[in-house]
Amino acid sequence: MVLVSTSMYAQKPLENKAAEKDSIVYKTPYGLRLGVDISKPIKAMFDDTYKGFELVGDYRLTKNFYLAAEIGFEEETTKEDFTSSFSKGNYIRIGGNFNLYKNWLDMTNEIFFGFRYGFSTFDQTLNNYSINTGNSYFPTSIISSRTETGLNAHWTELILGIKVETLKNVYISASMSYKIMMSLKEPSNFKTLFAPGFNRVFLNKAGFGFNYTISYTIPFNKK
Amino acid sequence: MKKIGFLFIFSLLIFACEKDDFCTEAITPNLVLRFYDNANQTEFKNAERLSVWADGKDTLADYTSVTLDSIAIPLDPLNTQTIYNFKINSVDGNLANNQIDQLTINYDIEEVYVSRSCGFKVIFNNVTVTSGTGWIQSFTPSSITTINNESSAHVQIFH
Repeated sequence: MVLVSTSMYAQKPLENKAAEKDSIVYKTPYGLRLGVDISKPIKAMFDDTYKGFELVGDYRLTKNFYLAAEIGFEEETTKEDFTSSFSKGNYIRIGGNFNLYKNWLDMTNEIFFGFRYGFSTFDQTLNNYSINTGNSYFPTSIISSRTETGLNAHWTELILGIKVETLKNVYISASMSYKIMMSLKEPSNFKTLFAPGFNRVFLNKAGFGFNYTISYTIPFNKK
Repeated sequence: MKKIGFLFIFSLLIFACEKDDFCTEAITPNLVLRFYDNANQTEFKNAERLSVWADGKDTLADYTSVTLDSIAIPLDPLNTQTIYNFKINSVDGNLANNQIDQLTINYDIEEVYVSRSCGFKVIFNNVTVTSGTGWIQSFTPSSITTINNESSAHVQIFH
């Protein structure tokens, strides 16, 4: 008898708790998230032909949409069979990310799909080159550096990535991007082989990018 | 599942398009010579036991004592003149029967960027050809506006 009454008694508060839970709205922070791409300095450590730095930021507008932008600097020496060239310049990418992931409770992890418009201005130097004759009968190597300044590129990007909150308000994010060049001011009698922010310019005007960032959200309010 | 499919398509995009890693375009053209019979100028005539070398250089590996009616030889892409020596021997392998002649080719150089994998090529403009006084009896033409391909012979040589 005692046992039965205690077990019945125990059930009551549990039911109450469940009912309360339904009425709780889990608020998530809205604010400005700022960070840095750590893949670029790491790449520079292992690849002495490359240097790069990128700041990233986004601003949460609605539940699942963030305005996003990246600003950065990159330089690369591109060594091909017959040419060695050097590109350096600054870039900005502006766009947005849609979160496709449904979070539990008050978590704010993301699997996101993004789009960007990218713009960069850069200089390109042709360090040295050799004439492709298909044979080695005559010497073909030419060392005469020529630089073309004021080059620029405009492109669009599609991005797929994830963001995970690892500490409170600290996010780690990885993403890949597919880029399509819209316009490119090429050097005369040469080609832009690497555009800062765009990476290698493929023959079909496509490009690919990878970002690995650490960022921090400055919460403005919770909704 | 949908997400995995999307990632798969995404990775295909990444690995699908490195077309420009292989040079398939035309590069610096060689000078193409074709040998004709001087007596019957529409007939090809082999240059027998032909060896070809530029002044001050070794004999071209492809043209060392060969019997052919057509050759393609490189022009010096960093200078505006190339002098070639042509040795034939129509009798036998004996040194005494060697006949030598020379072609001097002058030209302007135009560097043209081709692509990432092909790099730069040179095309030769305002080409003029003069011959020595040996087994080559005549040739045509003696001036060529531009040499930018190898699709046909640039100079016909009569001997």
